[in-house]
Amino acid sequence: MAELLELYKKAAFVRAFELHLAVAADAGHVPGLIHLCCGAELFEIALCQQLKGPRDQVTGSHRSHGIALAMGVDPVALAAEIMGREQGLAAGRGGTQHLMAPGKGFLTSNGIVGGQVPIAAGAALTAKMMQAGGIAVSFFGDGAANQGAVFETMNLAVALDLPMIFAVENNGLGQSTSDGYASGGADMLARAKGFGLKSFSVDGFDAEDCLKRTEEAVAFVRNEKKPAFVEASVPRLTGHYHGEKSVYLAHHETRDPLEELAGHLQHEDISVLYKKLEKQAHDAVLSAIKLEEAQQ
Amino acid sequence: MSENATSEKLTIVAALNRAHHQLMHEDPSIMVIGEDIVGGAGLDGEELGGVFGVTAGLADAFGRSRVIDTPISETAFVGMGLGAAMTGLKPIVEIMFCDFMGVCFDQIMNQTAKARYLSGGNLDIPLVIRTTMGAGDGSAAMHSQSLHGLLAGIPGLVVVCPTSPADAAGILKAAINCPDPVVLMEHKGLYAVAEECDPLLPKVKIGEGRLVHEGSDLTIVATGQMLHRSATAVELLSARGITADVIDPRTIVPLDEQLIFESVAKTRRLLVIDEGPEFAGFADMVITAVSSKAFHALKSAPQKLTPPQTPVPYGRTLEAAWLPGVEDIVNKVDEMLYDS
Repeated sequence: MAELLELYKKAAFVRAFELHLAVAADAGHVPGLIHLCCGAELFEIALCQQLKGPRDQVTGSHRSHGIALAMGVDPVALAAEIMGREQGLAAGRGGTQHLMAPGKGFLTSNGIVGGQVPIAAGAALTAKMMQAGGIAVSFFGDGAANQGAVFETMNLAVALDLPMIFAVENNGLGQSTSDGYASGGADMLARAKGFGLKSFSVDGFDAEDCLKRTEEAVAFVRNEKKPAFVEASVPRLTGHYHGEKSVYLAHHETRDPLEELAGHLQHEDISVLYKKLEKQAHDAVLSAIKLEEAQQ
Repeated sequence: MSENATSEKLTIVAALNRAHHQLMHEDPSIMVIGEDIVGGAGLDGEELGGVFGVTAGLADAFGRSRVIDTPISETAFVGMGLGAAMTGLKPIVEIMFCDFMGVCFDQIMNQTAKARYLSGGNLDIPLVIRTTMGAGDGSAAMHSQSLHGLLAGIPGLVVVCPTSPADAAGILKAAINCPDPVVLMEHKGLYAVAEECDPLLPKVKIGEGRLVHEGSDLTIVATGQMLHRSATAVELLSARGITADVIDPRTIVPLDEQLIFESVAKTRRLLVIDEGPEFAGFADMVITAVSSKAFHALKSAPQKLTPPQTPVPYGRTLEAAWLPGVEDIVNKVDEMLYDS
């Protein structure tokens, strides 16, 4: 239960961070659009908390705020980058879709769907050459799973025995297009097996399953020094981007993995705990708002 | 050339090959990655050493863990090279022909070119992408392009086009320690060019052009095999008393504008000869730089000589006609000097 409580705390912080960022965006503090990770927190944190940067490196998609936090990136520096502030991770040069904190093991997020996946293969190659037990993880969605870059890298990783995890977060949506429509054979694990990848299936709604399966996958990659494919079912609780009117969805996913975990914990003061974490997240976002915009 | 060194005649292939051996020997973080660079992976014959022989003997000397043959998956292995460069290795990634950049352009244009900037300058990208360019060997439309101008338009990339053995090897050595990713474009038609070299093959500074020939009537800026053709044309012209400065920019980005401006200030005429496209190519960039920053020096309109704006044709006669030749250069110079 202690493990689950820890997972809840981290996930609740990420959720609160995203929601307060959304408020900041509505107030005009964010230059562009932000893609929130609400619903995927448990899986992302369960996997990332087994990694340690810079030995291990993670790449992510446009939807990577939670993964960056899970890798230990400072929330104020992260929020500041998302708001284009001078004190951001890259002094406001990159922004929400191009977050980089390799010292923490968060190598990069990406503005091109699937573009981050080959880069993780490079981090895996470095880990292989360094022989210090490091691995690389690339998070991407079921939309990206149809990109050639992803297929090529799955094949390359097997051919070259790269210690990396392909972590697909399957929310059934590529922006506004369903996986059933877009995928010729939507069974991701079958695809992975076709490349000779060891594969793992994770119920992203079930905190215990997230912990157990991701531990198995990380242990496999570290011990066998081979790549693995992990598919997690997760909901996308917010739109493709914050503020989007998801007119293409007649009804939104209602199950929330974080709420279900909260119910499961039987913690007497779960709402007090959430409020405390929410205040920390709010403070981080407020601190970033007060920072100066990057000028030149 | 350094003192006391006995010079040695080397081709561009041999100089590049030796530079690879020297670099990999000195720095264990240097990796060489590409298609068929060792060759014969999974087969029982002899190794290939790369399609042009540039990577010959590297696997024997340094092992297949550092000299990696890849599947035919440019997107995956260029991205892998980038990720490796972001995490502590110094990869030299070979794209067999620059035409193949078409299949991995995201990893070049969006990922490699932008990574250092997007890190806020916190991360160096010691990645070298070696590739070939150029027409003249019957390889036709998809194995013969000169894409240096296209790459030059992408902020974040350093682009170099060496034309001599010493420059090819020396620029490779500078490139591997450059904080920005470098695209090293080797002209296929020049691989056999041989010159006396310092056998140590010292570094050549990126961003410095080279005055290959001195004269007074006009300035010729030429890249790749066009530089060699220009040198031949200038020999012919000198017999008629016409002399020219011939500049090999060596580096496309960052361009040594100063060298070009100084020459134009002296000759007051500019001719750019390039194998890239007629429209929006490297020749246009040089003309724009001179016209906007050194206009007062010009006595007549700056000119360019490039192939026509079509894909590279296949048939021998067609391809020869498509490429600017020595006679075309001589005629162009005459036209500039006597029609103006």
